[in-house]
Amino acid sequence: MKSLLPRLGLIATVLFAGLVTASAADSKLVVALLPKSKGNAYFLSCKNGADKAAKELGIELLFDGPTDSNAAKQNEIVENWITLGVDVIAVAAENKEGISTALRKAQKQGIKVITYDADSMPDSRSFFVNQATPQGIGYGLMDEAARLAGGEGEFAMITASLTAANQREWQKYIEARLKEKYPKMKLVAVRPCDDLKDKAQSEATALMSANPNLKLIMAICSPGVPGAAEAVKQAGKTGKVKVVGLGLPNENKRYVHGGVTDSVILWNTEHLGYLTVYAGTALAKGTLKPGAKTFKAGTLGEFQIQGDNILLGTPFIFNRGNIDQFDF
Amino acid sequence: MTNSVKRDWKSVLLSHEMLLLYVLVAEWLFFFFAGTTTNRRGVIVGFGTLDRQFDILRHSCEIGLLALALTPVIITAGIDLSVGSLLGLCAILFGKLWHDGGLSLPLAAFLTLGIGTLAGGLNATLITALRLPPLIVTLGTYSLFRGLAEAITHGAITYTDFPASFLFLGQERWLGLPAQAWLFLLVAVAVWLLMHRTTFGRGFRTIGFSPEGARYAGLPVGRRLALVYMLAGFIAAVAAIIYTARLGQAKADAGTGYELFAITAVVLGGTSIFGGSGSVHGTLLGVAAIAVLKNGLACLPVVMRLNAAEEMSGLLTGALLLLALTGSVLPKMLSTFRAHRHAAQPPSPSPSS
Repeated sequence: MKSLLPRLGLIATVLFAGLVTASAADSKLVVALLPKSKGNAYFLSCKNGADKAAKELGIELLFDGPTDSNAAKQNEIVENWITLGVDVIAVAAENKEGISTALRKAQKQGIKVITYDADSMPDSRSFFVNQATPQGIGYGLMDEAARLAGGEGEFAMITASLTAANQREWQKYIEARLKEKYPKMKLVAVRPCDDLKDKAQSEATALMSANPNLKLIMAICSPGVPGAAEAVKQAGKTGKVKVVGLGLPNENKRYVHGGVTDSVILWNTEHLGYLTVYAGTALAKGTLKPGAKTFKAGTLGEFQIQGDNILLGTPFIFNRGNIDQFDF
Repeated sequence: MTNSVKRDWKSVLLSHEMLLLYVLVAEWLFFFFAGTTTNRRGVIVGFGTLDRQFDILRHSCEIGLLALALTPVIITAGIDLSVGSLLGLCAILFGKLWHDGGLSLPLAAFLTLGIGTLAGGLNATLITALRLPPLIVTLGTYSLFRGLAEAITHGAITYTDFPASFLFLGQERWLGLPAQAWLFLLVAVAVWLLMHRTTFGRGFRTIGFSPEGARYAGLPVGRRLALVYMLAGFIAAVAAIIYTARLGQAKADAGTGYELFAITAVVLGGTSIFGGSGSVHGTLLGVAAIAVLKNGLACLPVVMRLNAAEEMSGLLTGALLLLALTGSVLPKMLSTFRAHRHAAQPPSPSPSS
């Protein structure tokens, strides 16, 4: 007991000193970044980019979010930031309508609001940093597929379902790009996998036996990519039938290193965080205004703005050379 | 005479509720001084703003209501683990009745309150008619209610787009206070009157102290217990409606984990988990102590920079609870220890030896 008291005193002194120094440094612009959940590796990767941007800009970055994807906690954190008087709030919305009431309140208090990854209601924020347009994804996938196939031959596609809106949208752009630029390539089949890896695997196996000249399988839902890769590997066609698709690095690493899957396409999450912090800061400083057509973000250069969407631009290609730098 | 009056004062000033009040005031003052700053634009921000104080009130209404619901339950030596899940189920049903059922919001709210009471009735029936332990019964309904909420929405549907007139209840101020605070206050006063000013409510303590004794004394123990669990269901439904209005959405995960926060507040407020003693004002102080701690921590620059407000508040709430529990048994232990030592001392030598 006797030795505990001085120790407690020491802790209190350190805490107090921390408080004083912390409030002395308060003159920096404060950008608060809210992920859907803060332990999620996807958002931690966004944070890496955001940290880099904050360092370059000399601003202070707060990063806090629910430990699970909890919409109620997102609202509470935003309300907390409002009373703390941060300058910018950047949000990946777990629930579009739910978060918007809190964001409107922030705007009323003069705080600049921007969304990234998942948008809120348009009237509750100034800009949405859009990580991927359907056109960007569709064209990116088709271009990469054509590159891998050498610009000719048969290929097949695996989708989540034939009715899902986003899948149909992507498929539309993939087919448009195919028609426009790659006349020697032929799409022989489109099969749904119901967002299941097992089903994707059996569909891919069936596709290979029905189409002996198949050169490539393109999976446009994330379970489809490892599913197709497993089928190709088990059929002993590694290298003969190439696999490309839209997915997350971690679930594909094994196949990318094994040479089964050539490329996984998504967006660069670090760039997403970087661009979001740059755009938020510019918004607070008044250098980015509604109606702008382009925006320059540090070392990443210029980005297009469509309406109130800042576009992250062309998708990012994960391959054997870079996939280990990403952990999500 | 004067001596006994003095001692009464001393015991009031050192009662659990008063000690908790000191802790609350100390917490509040600490955060007021350490958590209030001036930002870049020269505006005073943080804990010491009226907005923040109202936010604390808004954020603690639902857990506060559940704690009020649980106070009578725990005083009767029972427990209800299902209130958080019931909040979720009621929120979903409220949203569904209005959105899919096409009912008006007041009617949907009225039916939701009825459903909440019935759900509490299910707990009550299993506990009183089948004589099953409350812990096990409500552990079952804890999963059952949440599971129902998830099944109804397939875990995916979220009801939103509530009209502004309804959102007013959760997001605006009325007569100077956040609108839902008035409802909270109303329920608090009602439960306080029930527990502290009616023989009916005092009966709950008797039941908690000794159910057999209460039965011999002629109390209808089963019926009283049933009422306590149905009241808890009703209050959980009120909390569900406030929750929906605050967030503008009804989703199956509403109120997840709230039952544990509520139990913590009740126990911190001095209610014995074994039943028989406790007070509604103690519970209110418990709710306030936790809410101020949680929200105050989020205003401290140090905690903010560590991005660890949630973790820190969990840690400190736990520490506070353990400290309070230790503090409440310590005097008793000390006195038994003293009595023991006193008894162990050799008796004064008898003349014969």
